[in-house]
Amino acid sequence: MIEALNAIRDEALRRLAELGADAPEAEIRDLRARYLGREGSLSVAMRGMGKLPASERPEIGRLANEVKGAIEEAFETAQGALAARERAQSLASERVDVTLPGRTPAIGRVHPLTQTAERATEIFVGLGFSVAEGPDVETDYNNFEALNIPRDHPARELQDTFYVADDIVLRTHTSPVQIRTMKQRKPPLRVIAPGTVYRRDDDVTHSPMFLQIEGFMVDEKVTFGDLKGVLTAFLQEMFDKGTRLRFRPSYFPFVEPGAEVDIECFLCRAKGCRVCKGTAWIEILGAGMIHPEVFRAVGYDPAACSGFAFGMGIERIAMLRYGVNDIRHFYENDQNFLEQF
Amino acid sequence: MRVSLEWLREYVPINQPTPALAEALINAGLEVGAIEDLGAGMESVVVAELLSVAPHPSADRLSLCEVQAGGETRRVVCGARNMKAGDRVALAVPGARLPNGLEIRKSKIRGETSEGMLCSEQELKLAEKSAGILILPPDAPVGSPLAGYLGRDDVIFDIELTPNRADCLSHLGVAREVAALTGAALTVQDRTVPEAGEAVGAMTSVTIEDAGRCPRYAARVIRGVKVGPSPRWLASRLEKVGVRPINNVVDVTNYVLFELGQPLHAFDLAALAEGRIVVRCAREGESLVTLDGVERKLTADDLVIADANRPVALAGVMGGEATEVTAGTADILLESAYFAPLGIRRTAKRQGLKSEASHRFERGCDPEMVVRASDRAAGLLAELAAGQVASGVLDVYPSPVRRPEIRLRPERANALLGIDLPGDAMAEILRRLGIAVEIQGAEIVARVPSWRPDLAIEADLVEEIARLHGYDRIPTTLPRAPIQSPEAPPERRLEQTARELFTGFGFHEAITYRFVSPGWADRLGLTVDDPRRRNVRLRNPMREDQAAMRTSLIPGLLTAALANLRRDQTDVRLFEAGKVFFDSGEGNLPEERVALGAVLAGEGRPGFWGKGRAADFYDAKGPVEALLDRLAIRGARFQTEGLSPYLHPGLSASLRWEKERLGELGMLHPEVAAALELPDTLFLVDLDAPALLRAAAAGFPAFIPPPRFPAARRDLAVVVDESIESGELLEQIGLISEKEFREALRQIEVFDVYRGEGIPAGKKSVALRLSYRSDERTLTDAEVNVFQERVLTRLAKELGAALRT
Ligand SMILES: [Zn+2]
Repeated sequence: MIEALNAIRDEALRRLAELGADAPEAEIRDLRARYLGREGSLSVAMRGMGKLPASERPEIGRLANEVKGAIEEAFETAQGALAARERAQSLASERVDVTLPGRTPAIGRVHPLTQTAERATEIFVGLGFSVAEGPDVETDYNNFEALNIPRDHPARELQDTFYVADDIVLRTHTSPVQIRTMKQRKPPLRVIAPGTVYRRDDDVTHSPMFLQIEGFMVDEKVTFGDLKGVLTAFLQEMFDKGTRLRFRPSYFPFVEPGAEVDIECFLCRAKGCRVCKGTAWIEILGAGMIHPEVFRAVGYDPAACSGFAFGMGIERIAMLRYGVNDIRHFYENDQNFLEQF
Repeated sequence: MRVSLEWLREYVPINQPTPALAEALINAGLEVGAIEDLGAGMESVVVAELLSVAPHPSADRLSLCEVQAGGETRRVVCGARNMKAGDRVALAVPGARLPNGLEIRKSKIRGETSEGMLCSEQELKLAEKSAGILILPPDAPVGSPLAGYLGRDDVIFDIELTPNRADCLSHLGVAREVAALTGAALTVQDRTVPEAGEAVGAMTSVTIEDAGRCPRYAARVIRGVKVGPSPRWLASRLEKVGVRPINNVVDVTNYVLFELGQPLHAFDLAALAEGRIVVRCAREGESLVTLDGVERKLTADDLVIADANRPVALAGVMGGEATEVTAGTADILLESAYFAPLGIRRTAKRQGLKSEASHRFERGCDPEMVVRASDRAAGLLAELAAGQVASGVLDVYPSPVRRPEIRLRPERANALLGIDLPGDAMAEILRRLGIAVEIQGAEIVARVPSWRPDLAIEADLVEEIARLHGYDRIPTTLPRAPIQSPEAPPERRLEQTARELFTGFGFHEAITYRFVSPGWADRLGLTVDDPRRRNVRLRNPMREDQAAMRTSLIPGLLTAALANLRRDQTDVRLFEAGKVFFDSGEGNLPEERVALGAVLAGEGRPGFWGKGRAADFYDAKGPVEALLDRLAIRGARFQTEGLSPYLHPGLSASLRWEKERLGELGMLHPEVAAALELPDTLFLVDLDAPALLRAAAAGFPAFIPPPRFPAARRDLAVVVDESIESGELLEQIGLISEKEFREALRQIEVFDVYRGEGIPAGKKSVALRLSYRSDERTLTDAEVNVFQERVLTRLAKELGAALRT
């Protein structure tokens, strides 16, 4: 019996080895069944154990289990190797063209003017400003008179106006939001007002409709130095940390002192180029200390408060940021243009 | 304003290099826009005498010239033919680089040595075109630099002046500014007038009828003038500031205007009826032919200069043709006046007429310059036109113009600017600007000079101090920020949400003009009472297709879609968030509200290379539902009623929430599409932001704890008539009132609609997936079966649905 069991083991292991590494799974399964199956030679041999004397049974039983274990282990190893081989084969046959575009929903783009305005708004919100809005169609009073631009004032010439009625206009700047906000609220105020404005002008650098951001701050002791500080912080964040600024006197009827702010041309590094017209500076916004007449118009006491205001064109900043050379691109809504931002 | 530095030097010494001067002016608020070096390229061009001209031995068209420019004689080959021996010519010597870029070298031309070039006006950029070389007058000094001789040894600053700085609209004015900036003293020019003979009062008279509009009028008479061309120096200065010389009389008036800033006018005295001047407003029906040849109808608000009978000039704006100085003029009446700014501005605007004179008067001239300018012009006319200046000036000045006295508190100035400048230093700055100051205790009392009408209040002086102190020297500070929670206006947040969502669905954000053609209402077939016909109209649009404020985003989006399709874009996906405007009746500001819109055409799943599918209704509906979801608007209904006429009646839906109409979406009506040359498979979304916000406010989502027990999901396919919409099925299920059912049903989803084999004609199968869940325990199969049965019973009873088998 001992010999028989050993012979079965040797034969099984030999025949398994003969099948070789490339044997199909079915053959290994058949061979396994021949030894370990219900009618396999090992099973048959083990059923014969009942005829043995009781004293031999434990010894033979142990040996039989040993043989069975050895054969099972051998077949498992062979089958494991086979499965691994098959997995490798199947992985090798599965291929994608990795250069084809991925399956994404086509993502649309936010308009570059919106992106620019939102970025600017974000920076000012970070500086403690809150957002206010006003109507596009405004009274002549809010757009001009209250801002110290009476009728027949030469400054009206700078802003050729669309009229809806004698005393109703399309706002020519976002400054009327100053008037509206100050009439509603009391200082301290730190407000920015992004919005759409209109002027009768249409060429490479002027659009009859364009976007502005107005900002103003009113408190007991706001200074021109504060104006410089806030605008420096804003422009350096908007353009570049190292951007140099130039504040020079200018004139807007609703501020005094008034200023125009230039940034150093970042395209030519201040050597002079087409964008800065050889001056090394790019005009970016207008600003100043709020005029006492404006405070009077909204019922503030000019002796008890001070404030600054500034306004800038979003298109101009977007044109500089993205290198767009014709303002009209922004309003043509060509998808070839829009998808670039 | 073009400023010649050579001219400027007559009034103020300039000791700094040109760029430094320009920078100083810019930093003081006089924006030097362009700097033009007139002598650039003429550095090596001199006046030369042509000694001889001989033919070139081997070239018919060339000549050999011998020239002399003070030193040795040079030989120059020349291709021109308009010169002869003895002429004065412009010689460019080797090393010169001409204004047109040409470099001059010693060279051999067809075998003959040429040591320079004789220049034409074109080559020197003195003229656009020229025939032959430049022949100079016989008195041109041989050997001297040509630029100096031509008066082009000069630099022009083109200064862009802000409207408040009328005082700088002259060389004297800019010189004052330079003096204030550099600390140099103004050069005082001693101008005496050689008066002779009869007193002016015996020859003419001046009557001012409206002293408000004309506070001052001064007349002089100059007799026996010889009208002719101006001398070179004067013509050259005028040309440099951009004025074409006409004759010596007119040129002198223009010259004084650019020198002193005072507009002058010369009348032909003989053409004035009774030889006298009346300053008055025009009478109804009067008219005047101005110097530009236009007959102008005058109104009672137009100030005119009249003679005894009729208007002869539009005061402060332009003279009249009938009294113009001509070649035959002998005696002239010279006007120098101060007119009130507003009146001039009204007339100039009404007449659509602008002149150098009106530009200055309407910004505010210097009333104290009137006589000084008259004297200066009279002196020049005597010198250059051989005129005899009658004795005296007829100076009518009934109500002297007073400039204010301003009290400046140095403390206030420092507080506004954020600096710490002593009062003395401020007073000194003001003095440099010609402002008389007196220190009274803690205040500085400043007397504004006659030439600064822009200085009226304390803040104006604060600006003057800041300007001269230097904006760049004001320290930069950051104001301390009060803690606040800046909350964006709700419309703004809605726009941001919508923008995020729609771009996520592949829509690009468009920004279209808020003014559109008023013809859109008809093109879209809006009914006569449609509120979208309540356009706000512009009185002065730039173009007819921008004449009305939009009442809807659709016209702009359709225009943008069309433009893209015409550029061979096959897929259009555009989204816009922006205001629309509704007229609220005369005298009222219109109603403005934010709308959200989108347009979609072409591929349903753009951007992927797999099998495509055309966009349909559901591609438009998807982002709308996503938006409703994001805004937590619950119970919104898509309905087929209440659509705009430009939408396809069967492939569109209006969107409602309770009684609120939130908007609509669907396919553009094929007839409208055809008329607009758009494809008829174009889908639109049009939503009303205020309505969405009201609906969103009601449905702010409360926290729902995550489920603790599993949900049971069951599918149910029912066969119904084709006419029944899936929404009706959901609605009926929603109406099942049994409490246990309502608590357990968490979600219903339509996941398939099937027509065809196995389904009778005129019917369709709709597959629903229902989820049931309890918060207390796991539902049993038996319970869920009962719920499903209930649903089927309801659908069968109300909608004739049958279980699909
Ligand atoms: Zn540059």
